[in-house]
Amino acid sequence: MLMADTIIAVENLKKRYDTSDVVRGLTFKVARGECYGLLGPNGAGKTTTIGMLTGLIEPSEGTVHIDGLDLAHHRREAQYQIGFVPQDFAFYPALRGKDNLIFFGRLYGLRGKHLEDRLEAVLNTVMLTRQADQAVAIYSNGMKRRLNIAIGLLHSPKILILDEPTVGIDAQSRSAILEGLESLNREGVTILYTTHYMEEAQRLCQRVAIMDHGSIIALDSPAELIRGIGEQIIRLECDQPLHEETLVAIERVGPVKVVDDNGNILHVKTSDPSKAVGAVIEIMDKAGTRLRSIDILEANLESVFLHLTGRSLRD
Amino acid sequence: MFFQIYAIVIKELKLLLKDREALTLLFAMPAFFILVMSFALETVFEAGSKQHPLEVLVINEDRGPLAREAIDDLKRIETLSLIEKQDGAVLTRAKVERLIQNEKYSLALHFRDYFSEQMQQFSSASSFPAASVSLISDPVINKQVLASVTGAIQGVLDRRRFMIRLPRVLQDHFSAEIDSHVPKSLAAFQKNAFDPDRLMSRLNQDLKAGNRFVLHVASPRSMKKTRRPTSTEQNVPGYTIFGVFFIVLTLASGFMQEKKDGTFQRILTAPVSKSSILVGKLLPFYFVNLVQIAIMFFIGVIVFGMELGYIPALILISMALAAVANGMGLFVAAVCRTEAQVNGLSVLLAITLSALGGMMVPAYLMPGFMKTLSLFTPHAWALRGYQDVIIRGLGIRAVLPETGILLLFAVLFFGMALWRFRFDS
Repeated sequence: MLMADTIIAVENLKKRYDTSDVVRGLTFKVARGECYGLLGPNGAGKTTTIGMLTGLIEPSEGTVHIDGLDLAHHRREAQYQIGFVPQDFAFYPALRGKDNLIFFGRLYGLRGKHLEDRLEAVLNTVMLTRQADQAVAIYSNGMKRRLNIAIGLLHSPKILILDEPTVGIDAQSRSAILEGLESLNREGVTILYTTHYMEEAQRLCQRVAIMDHGSIIALDSPAELIRGIGEQIIRLECDQPLHEETLVAIERVGPVKVVDDNGNILHVKTSDPSKAVGAVIEIMDKAGTRLRSIDILEANLESVFLHLTGRSLRD
Repeated sequence: MFFQIYAIVIKELKLLLKDREALTLLFAMPAFFILVMSFALETVFEAGSKQHPLEVLVINEDRGPLAREAIDDLKRIETLSLIEKQDGAVLTRAKVERLIQNEKYSLALHFRDYFSEQMQQFSSASSFPAASVSLISDPVINKQVLASVTGAIQGVLDRRRFMIRLPRVLQDHFSAEIDSHVPKSLAAFQKNAFDPDRLMSRLNQDLKAGNRFVLHVASPRSMKKTRRPTSTEQNVPGYTIFGVFFIVLTLASGFMQEKKDGTFQRILTAPVSKSSILVGKLLPFYFVNLVQIAIMFFIGVIVFGMELGYIPALILISMALAAVANGMGLFVAAVCRTEAQVNGLSVLLAITLSALGGMMVPAYLMPGFMKTLSLFTPHAWALRGYQDVIIRGLGIRAVLPETGILLLFAVLFFGMALWRFRFDS
């Protein structure tokens, strides 16, 4: 039985390509009106998960329920509830922005006055009204991103699924997109948002599932996830690789992880950064190693991921 | 700099080797062209030669010996291959017409029962029937090929008739010379009687005055048209079919581009059935094919004055043909994984199947095994259908078999395409 306020329910979802398990038994629920983030590095399995949620990719195992409808048996009805915004610019550059919207609107059964009204509304939402009659080929990257989102919004879906919608655009366009999404979420649209930008997930999402190697390794609100680390991270960059004895000495201060190929950069977890910094500098002095830089990382989802996997989100 | 060139070369080779199918097509394509075009064109340059004699069926109903003698003479012509029996049985007019209509053979020589009688009878009366032989030919045989065959047959039969008439002419000639010269001067007789010019002149006069020998060229009785096809009537259907199959490249590339751009995937996330997506994608190409065919035939009519024949029959074939081309396009889209593969396979299919199907070289000029192979191409059946209407003057009923076979090809291509098509990649 599904909870009444659950709009997306995923149960033991798996995807296998030949011998490679891309998604390994995901189970999660998204509440109606929630903004839910899937955060993870490239290759974590986010896009494949979204592909299975939108009916694009056939799962190897598991079930997906969209607003109570089993996607495997009621694909078309379930798809009507979803607005999908893919990572790529998935539209026709040779056509006008308006023509692209009309085409995708018709796929969702919109026609006549209703289609015209929706066109006007989404063009207004993504601020493309003036450019609607221009060929998409001449749009800037930011405008293309906005058109990509507009297509997903056209049929007034209950759920908006966005796959890395801000990749490759300037800060201003990104901010405009995020504001628009916050506004939609306030209006009651459920948002499933994948990104590898932790600051976006932190800003938008009420809950975040952190994915790595096809599995969810943590799931909570961003604040709880950050609080859960309980430690902060000191980032040290040295002029040369550290000797084994030096690393052993630093480990007495806190767990150490070397994060670059040359062994020049390392992260040290600690619950008392001010005390730890002094101790580390002293150890390095004794070892004759010079520090190039030292940072105490502010706790955020990036540090959560680092804490959980030992890797950076952008690795 | 050299190291950079080396690096680029290595990268390109790696990319090439990654797409083995495209690489194979790159080598297979010219090999196929060489094989198909050489076999097909071989006969264009050597048609009616010793190595590739033209096959002529023979119906011999003659009650006398002369047709047999003429046939034996004709068999000595190396550029013709005479066939008197099929499956051990002598040929009849009805059987020959069937064989020609089914495009198994293109030419037949018919000696009627009174052939010897007519050849031996001479009369200057205009009402006296001419000695005749019928050459039955498929209307699609062009004038040049037909002229070489009729020339060879006419030559042999004229010589045979000459040999029959020669003793009688000599007898008349010498009798006349004896009557007019011997009583007066033996020398004058010798001079005149053995003068080759006088002898030939008398022989020609005799042959001209007598009833003539005629080689009738006719089409099978079931075919309405008896005139020879013009080059337009040969080329317009052929090159129309050739052009129609170029939609394969456009269509398959379109699918590839949509998948690459992500629009295909986006459409798949909409509440649309997969069959609607495919039908929606294919229908415009299908109509483009029909318009393409209409324009090609329109040019044939307006510019070259081509006669189309029964248009509903042409429409029927065109609809089936466009269905095959679209099916093939979807098949190429389904089996190819890269643009290079789509380009290679589309061009390979478009050109080799056209050559094999008789678009570039008429099938009747092809060697036997190529003729058989051509039946495995939709092109050959489409051309046969168009020629039935345009050249042979036939109607819908006559093109139903060709239409049926084209639709079978369409079903085959669509079936294989749907089996192999990956919606989620």
